[in-house]
Amino acid sequence: MSKHPVVQWIDRRFPFTAFFKHELTEYKVPRNLSYWWNFGFLAGFVLVLQVVSGVFLAMHYKPDAQLAFASIEHIMRDVNYGWLLRYMHSTGASAFFVVIYIHMARTLYYGSFRAPRELMWWSGQVLLLTLMATAFMGYLLPWGQMSYWGAQVITNLFRATPFIGDQVVVWLRGDFVVGDATLNRFFVLHFFFPFLIFGIVGLHLVALHFVRSSNPSGINLKDEDNISLHPYFTFKDLFGLGIFLLIFCGFVFFYPDFFIEPDNNIPADPLKTPPHITPEWYFLPFYAILRAIPDMLGGVVAMTLSILVFAAMPYLDRSQIPGGSRYRPFYRAMFWAFVVDLSVLTYVGAQPATDEMALVGRIATIIYFSLFMVLPIISKREEAWLFVRGLPQEVMAMIAGEKESDRRKRSMDRRKTERRQGEE
Amino acid sequence: MKKIISLTGGLLISLTALASETPPLLDVELQHDTATLRQGADVVLNVCAGCHSLHYLKYRDLLEVGFTQAEVDGLRGQLEVTATIAAMSPPDMLKETYGVVPPDLSLIAKARKGGGRYVYTLFNSFYQRPDGTVDNHLFPNIRMPDVLGVASMTDPAQKKEFQESMRKVAAFLEWAADPNAAERRGMGVYVLIYLFIITLLFWLMKRRIWSDVH
Ligand code: HEC
Ligand code: HEM
Repeated sequence: MSKHPVVQWIDRRFPFTAFFKHELTEYKVPRNLSYWWNFGFLAGFVLVLQVVSGVFLAMHYKPDAQLAFASIEHIMRDVNYGWLLRYMHSTGASAFFVVIYIHMARTLYYGSFRAPRELMWWSGQVLLLTLMATAFMGYLLPWGQMSYWGAQVITNLFRATPFIGDQVVVWLRGDFVVGDATLNRFFVLHFFFPFLIFGIVGLHLVALHFVRSSNPSGINLKDEDNISLHPYFTFKDLFGLGIFLLIFCGFVFFYPDFFIEPDNNIPADPLKTPPHITPEWYFLPFYAILRAIPDMLGGVVAMTLSILVFAAMPYLDRSQIPGGSRYRPFYRAMFWAFVVDLSVLTYVGAQPATDEMALVGRIATIIYFSLFMVLPIISKREEAWLFVRGLPQEVMAMIAGEKESDRRKRSMDRRKTERRQGEE
Repeated sequence: MKKIISLTGGLLISLTALASETPPLLDVELQHDTATLRQGADVVLNVCAGCHSLHYLKYRDLLEVGFTQAEVDGLRGQLEVTATIAAMSPPDMLKETYGVVPPDLSLIAKARKGGGRYVYTLFNSFYQRPDGTVDNHLFPNIRMPDVLGVASMTDPAQKKEFQESMRKVAAFLEWAADPNAAERRGMGVYVLIYLFIITLLFWLMKRRIWSDVH
């Protein structure tokens, strides 16, 4: 294929064609990736969707406590296809979390957070935190009752900061209560954070292309079993995107209010607390953990830990057996127990705080943290048990191979140190 | 593992049963054709707008539910066509009489679970206590008077007429909260058909491309 003169001109000055070839068209991917590997691409798609719809919304939105609510109604009623922009954006926020949570569950299930992919896991963790912050601040913008009181409750949690709690809360809000100053800064940051997210996604992808995708078997495939991204995975991803859009547009066009609390159609009223303040569904498990601890500081610490604890996964899982749940019945059982526990927490987070609910919430919180805490022991025991019981040949070969290269590396390091010490 | 699932499952079911205490909403089919909306609008503008504003509706929006330009001009009087619909009594006076400013109705169908069904059920829930005072099953101690006299309605024909008209009111309030709903659903059908076809094509192409891999 002969290249266009413009492309030739660019290629002499910038690795344009080379980059495309190396990172996209001829980038090698394990051929056995299942559809669970589509969700990273979908997350990228939703990010673009949110930024595009968000930029157009921002052209009509007014970040002013007196005008914000009415400006959303103006978008919904008077701006041409404003309702479409707004519903795409509000549904998109939920879709983003659905996609990201599935993406994370895939990683946990197949153990893709382990060496050499720790940096992918941690950059993902930063993405999750940034996304949560973005969504939380975005939720204030329509200035409805839930927006207002949600922000009031959550910013108030920072009062638990030792010594300077009160100052931190005022500093975050820009005022003693959530008000005009808060709305304005949340709008600015809500606009800005997605661009941070873009940057972190860049790092996430650079790391990916360096360590390459893991695959459901957990075993590194032979070269001929890695196939090029294009056209194989581009079309697999496009098909997945089609399915995603069918569901997404089903909500946008037919059930757009599914993800919007009825109370948020009432303008914010600082004098009238709604009887029952609930955060968005994607925060519910963490909110349930917050409420499970009777003490505020304790609750905040538990909630923060419940999200940050994921970062420790590469150290908590001490088994060398590849493939995550694939060959490991105990790990698999723990994964599903975690999924069930999260569902229970989600449910509890949405209910009014009664005594029964508090009890269920506490039990589920204990299970949540216990699963992480017992993982180092169980993973080690399970490994020993599986070695005795026998594993497929390829798996044993891979573990032996890793041990071998590990040993070689270590002895090389030792020789280096010895040499250095000899020189001294 | 299985035990945990069945235990939590059982717990969840019993808890949901505990949680639902408010009376259920009446099942009612709401039509949104222009004639229905127009008749609903008449009731809302003549009765409800006495106390309630419809702040996110403008006079010109009424053209969409079958009002003629002359009728709209008659309704708005000196006001602009882009003026929003205010309550006939001033808010201060209403607050003094009822203890609250009655909530704006233009978003009420979205601001309550159940939408139009909530409004319909609310008005059907007025009843007379033995001592002759009126209360509401759905919203006990509501400060809105039983403006349509539902609690004292005994004649079945009259009751049926009231319910007929209330259905139209509920439908109009749903329209007022989301005037683009019909356009949205209409467009959605084409969007889903288009997406279905293109997804099918992607699937066929994916299958063909992958046929040399398996
Ligand atoms: C005489 C004045 C008056 C009229 C006329 C009136 N309302 Fe109300 N309405 C009120 C007041 C006052 C409230 C506030 C009730 C409260 O919060 O206790 C209210 C509340 C409501 C609510 C909200 C209930 C809730 O869940 O908070 C709805 C819905 C409603 N009215 C619908 C209507 C409709 C429909 C009509 C016309 C058929 C109507 N109203 C006519 C005075 C009135
Ligand atoms: C990273 C992805 C993003 C997420 C997860 C997100 C999330 C949200 C959420 C949850 C809301 C409240 C929705 C509602 O109730 O209507 C919202 C509103 C809003 N967002 Fe975003 N958003 C993102 C990106 C952006 C970007 C890039 C912009 C602009 C550059 C933007 C501009 C707005 C505006 C103007 C609103 C208020 C309008 C509205 O309420 O619909 N958003 N966003």
